[in-house]
Amino acid sequence: MAETAALVNLEEIRSFVSDRLQVVSYKWLSRNFLVSSNVAKRLLEEFVEKYGDGLVVIYSLSGWLKNNPTTYHIRLVPKHMLSDAKQEFDGNCSVQVYSIQACLPKDPATLWNHEFVQAEDLFKQPSTVDNCLRDNRFCGVVNSFVKRTGGATPLGNGSLQLKSTGVSGLSSSYSTPQTAAAPKSIQKNVQNAGSNAGVQSLSIAKPVKTEGHVKPDLAEGAQVAEKEKVPRSLPNNKKAQSGKNSSGTGGALASMWGRAPTKPKPDASLVQADNSRQNSSVSAEDQICARELADYGSSDDDDKDFNIKRTSNGQGSRKRRVVFSYSDEEDEYENAISLGSPDPPKKSILCSKDNSKASTPECNLSFEEKENKPEVKKEKESEANANQHLEEKVVAVDHSKKAESLASEKTLCHAPETDASKKNNAADVVPKRRKVLKTRIDERGREVTVVVWEGEEQDTKSDNNSAKTAENNTASNALNRPPVVRKSPAVGNTAPANHAGKAGNKKAGNKDPKQGNLFSFFKKV
Amino acid sequence: MEVDAENGLLQRKQSIYKSLDESFMIEKETYRGQQYSQIYFARLHLMRTLLYSLLPTWKPHLPVCTVLGLEEGKDCIIVGTIYKHMKLKPSILDEYSKERSAGPLVQPHNFMHSDDYLVLEDESGRVKLRGALLLPSVYVTGIVVALHGKETGAGDFMVEDVLEAGLPHQIARPLNSGDDKFVVFVSGLSVGSSSANPLHFQLFVDHITGHLGDEKEQGIAAQIVQVVIAGNSVEFPRGLLNGQNLGSRDQSKLSEPIKELDILLTQIAAGIPVDIMPGENDPANFALPQQPLNRCLFPGSAAFNTFRSCTNPHTFELDNVRFLGTSGQTIDDLAKYSDGKGKLEFLERTIRWRHLAPTAPNTLGCYPFTDRDPFFVEVCPHVYFAGNQDKFEASLIKGSDGQVVRLICIPRFAETGTAVMLNLRNLECHTLTFGSHFGSSGSSVNERLELKRSSFVSSYSGRYLSVVSENQTL
Repeated sequence: MAETAALVNLEEIRSFVSDRLQVVSYKWLSRNFLVSSNVAKRLLEEFVEKYGDGLVVIYSLSGWLKNNPTTYHIRLVPKHMLSDAKQEFDGNCSVQVYSIQACLPKDPATLWNHEFVQAEDLFKQPSTVDNCLRDNRFCGVVNSFVKRTGGATPLGNGSLQLKSTGVSGLSSSYSTPQTAAAPKSIQKNVQNAGSNAGVQSLSIAKPVKTEGHVKPDLAEGAQVAEKEKVPRSLPNNKKAQSGKNSSGTGGALASMWGRAPTKPKPDASLVQADNSRQNSSVSAEDQICARELADYGSSDDDDKDFNIKRTSNGQGSRKRRVVFSYSDEEDEYENAISLGSPDPPKKSILCSKDNSKASTPECNLSFEEKENKPEVKKEKESEANANQHLEEKVVAVDHSKKAESLASEKTLCHAPETDASKKNNAADVVPKRRKVLKTRIDERGREVTVVVWEGEEQDTKSDNNSAKTAENNTASNALNRPPVVRKSPAVGNTAPANHAGKAGNKKAGNKDPKQGNLFSFFKKV
Repeated sequence: MEVDAENGLLQRKQSIYKSLDESFMIEKETYRGQQYSQIYFARLHLMRTLLYSLLPTWKPHLPVCTVLGLEEGKDCIIVGTIYKHMKLKPSILDEYSKERSAGPLVQPHNFMHSDDYLVLEDESGRVKLRGALLLPSVYVTGIVVALHGKETGAGDFMVEDVLEAGLPHQIARPLNSGDDKFVVFVSGLSVGSSSANPLHFQLFVDHITGHLGDEKEQGIAAQIVQVVIAGNSVEFPRGLLNGQNLGSRDQSKLSEPIKELDILLTQIAAGIPVDIMPGENDPANFALPQQPLNRCLFPGSAAFNTFRSCTNPHTFELDNVRFLGTSGQTIDDLAKYSDGKGKLEFLERTIRWRHLAPTAPNTLGCYPFTDRDPFFVEVCPHVYFAGNQDKFEASLIKGSDGQVVRLICIPRFAETGTAVMLNLRNLECHTLTFGSHFGSSGSSVNERLELKRSSFVSSYSGRYLSVVSENQTL
C-alpha cells in the first residue's frame, strides 16, 4: 500500500520541497495526505533515497544517552551531523527522517512553524468535525478510551458563538474556516453523523443543516460584534431568533405543505433539536419542552427547504432592522405561495399553528424577558396553550390583514416582534389612532405586526424602503426558490444570500428604522 | 505492549485515575474580612493533637507545658507554631519608616541573615528559642513542632530535642507489581515566551502521543498512561495588563499563547489523559490553593474526557499510587526564607513537617480558610513533586513506618527541554530530553540548552543515579 501511495505522492512531495521551498515533515505529510505517521516516515525515507541529493534532510534520533543512562533523549539533527550524534547514544538508537527542506533552517523553530500552521487550521475547523488532530488517528498508539464530546454541538457552538460575540478579531478567524468548509459539507455529513453522539438517528441531511446554520450564525455574531451591539442583548436576539427559526420553518412548511410529499415526522423534531441546540442560551427545560412540542408537529419538509430557511435565518438576523425589512418581502412571497398552493389556506394555518406550538418555549422566553410575563406561566402546558391561543389570534389577524399588508408592500415594519405582540394585544383596545395594524408570519414564522401611522410616516420611509426592497428582492429570490437550489443547498444558497444580506445591511444600516418607532410613540403621547 | 492485530497499532496502557482534589477546591469563595489567624489556629490544633499522640512514644517521662506555664530550669515539652524572626524579611512598613536604618543588604538568593532567630508560640504566649539543635536556617514560620528543653534565666527556651510530625501514614502498595506504566511530568512550558523553543514541545507531544520514532519508541510511548503539566504553561506579556483597555492586537497577544497551548493540549488529550495545574504565571488565581484553570480557556482540549483542569496543590491516585504535588511556589518560597542543599531537601522537609506550604499565609499567598488548613498532609503520597524547578532532581525517602516517597523536582521545560517520566511499577524515574542542534547555524537558545543540560547532568549524578540507575529495563 505504501508503495502505491509513494508513487502517487513522491512527485508531489518533490514539488512541495523544491518548488514551494516548503519544509516537509513527516507529520505535515501525514496530515496533508491523510496517511499515518509511520507511513509518512517511510514515504520520506523513500523520497530521500530517490531524490535526496541537494536537499537537506533532518533526522530524528531517539534513544538512551551514553553519558547519562537515565535520560531518554530525542534530538533532531541534519544529515551531516548524523554520525556524530549517533555516537552520543547508547547502543542502537532509532533514526528516522523527520523532515526534508531545501535549505537548513537557521532557527529550528522554523520546522515547527509550518506544522503548527497546519495544526491550527485543523483546530479551527468546527468542533463537530473529528479531524486527524482531534482523534489522533495517524499516530502509532491507539487509545480507545479517549472520548471527545466535541460532537456535542451545544458546547462547541456555544463557545464559538461566545467567541464571535466577545472578540471580534477571533470571530472572524473562527468564521472563516467554516465558510471555507461549506463546500465540503458532504464529507462533513459523514463525520458529523459519526461524531454526534446525541443525535445519531438523524438523517444525513441534518449535518448539512447545522453547517448552514452555524455559519451564518457566526457571521451574525461577527457582525454584531462589529456593530458594537451590546453583547448582553445577544442572548435575547438568539432566543428570539431561534424561536423564529422554528416557526420560520413553520412558515416554510405552510408554504410547502401543498407540494412536498409527506415525510416521516422525525424531521420536524430534527429542526427543533437543531434550533434548540444552536440556541445555546435556552435552558434545558425549554429544550425539552421544545422537543416535546415538536413531536406534535406533524409537519415535515424537505431538508433542502430547511436549509434554505436556515441560511436565510442566519443572515436575516444579522441585524434586527434588516430582518424586518426582509420579512416584509419574503412574507409577501410566502403568502403568495400559500395562496397559490392548491391546498386551502386553512391547512397552512393549522400547520403554522403546530409549528408555532413547537416554537413557543423560545418565543415565550423572549416575550417574558421584555414583557415581564409572570414566571408562573412557564408551566409547559399552560404555556403552550396560552401561546397557541395567542398564535391563533395572530394568525387570524394575519389573515384578515393579509390583503392590507399586500397592498402596503412598501411599509417598513420596525416594531420588534415582541413589541408587536404587545401591540397586538393592545391593538384591540386602542384603535382610535389612525394606526393600521398588520400582523403576519414572516419567513421565520414570527408574527410581525406592522404598525403603520398612515400619513407622514410612509412618506419619510418610502425611499428608505425602496432601497431595501431591492436588496430584499435579491435575498428573497435566493431564498425562496427551492427547486433551483436544491442541487447544492449549502453552496448555492449561502453565497448569494450572504452577499445580499451584507449589501442590505450596509444600506439599511445608515438609517435607523427605530426612528419611526420612536416617532410613533411620540405621536401617541 | 499489546499490539492491535487489525492494523498493527499499539494499544495504549490504561490505569485507574482517581482525583482527590476536593480538599483544595474552594467552595463559596468569600472575602469578608476573614483573618489568617484561623488557618494558624486550625493548623496548630490539627498538628498539636497529632504531636501529642506521638509524645508517649517519644519522651513519655516529660511533662507537657504551655508557653505560659514554663518554669525556669524544669525540663518539659512544649508544642507550638514556629515563628522565624527575620531581619531581612521585606515588610511593607519599611517603605513608610521615616528613619533610614542602615540595614544589611539582602543577599541575591534569599532573605536569610545570621541574626535570624526562632520563636515558638501557642495560644498562651511566645518564647524565644535557643540552642544549637534548632537551626533557624532550616525552619520557617508556620511549622508546628514539639520541643524538649527548659527555660533559661533570660526567659528563653533552651531546646534539647525536636520532634517533627514526620511522614504521615502511607497506604501500602505492592512494589514491583504489574506492568511498566509511565507518568510524564512536565512544567514551565511557557508557551508564548521568546526563550521557549516550540519545536521541543512539539517533539514532546509527538513522542508521547506515539507519532515520533520507530516501533520501539512508540512502544515506550504506549506505556505512558498520564501526563501532568505542573504549572506555568503559558507566558504572556504582562506589561499589557495595566488597567487600560486593550487594543485588539494586544488582546490577541494575550490570547495567542493560550490558544497555542490549547492546540497542543488537544493533541495530547487526543491520545493520553492529561492533568493541567495552574502555576504562578498562569491565568488563575494567585493565592494558594490555585483553582483549576477555567475550561473555557481550552475550548479545543476541554472537549476530551482525558483533559482535566486541576488545582495547584494537586493530588490524585493512579492505580493506587498516590501523587501529591505543586507547581513549585511552595518550594520556591521555602528557598527564599530558609537554606537547604537543594530543592529536594525542601521537598523532603515539607513532607516531614507534614505540611505542604508552611510559609502560607506568612510569605506565600493563601486563601483565608476559616475552618481548615488544606495544606496539612494527611496521607503520605507515594510520589511528591514540585514543578518549575531549575533542574531535574529525584530521590527516594523512607519513613519510619516503611513509607516510601519518591520526590521529584520537575525542571522548567522551556529552559531545559526536559520532562520527567515516572514508572508506576517501581517509582523509578528518568528524564526525557529534547534537543535540536543544527550545527553552526543552530540557534543560541539551543546551544544554551545544551550547556545547561550537560551541567545538570554532572551535578545531580551522585545521589540520584545510585537510586535509579537500574532503570534500564524498558
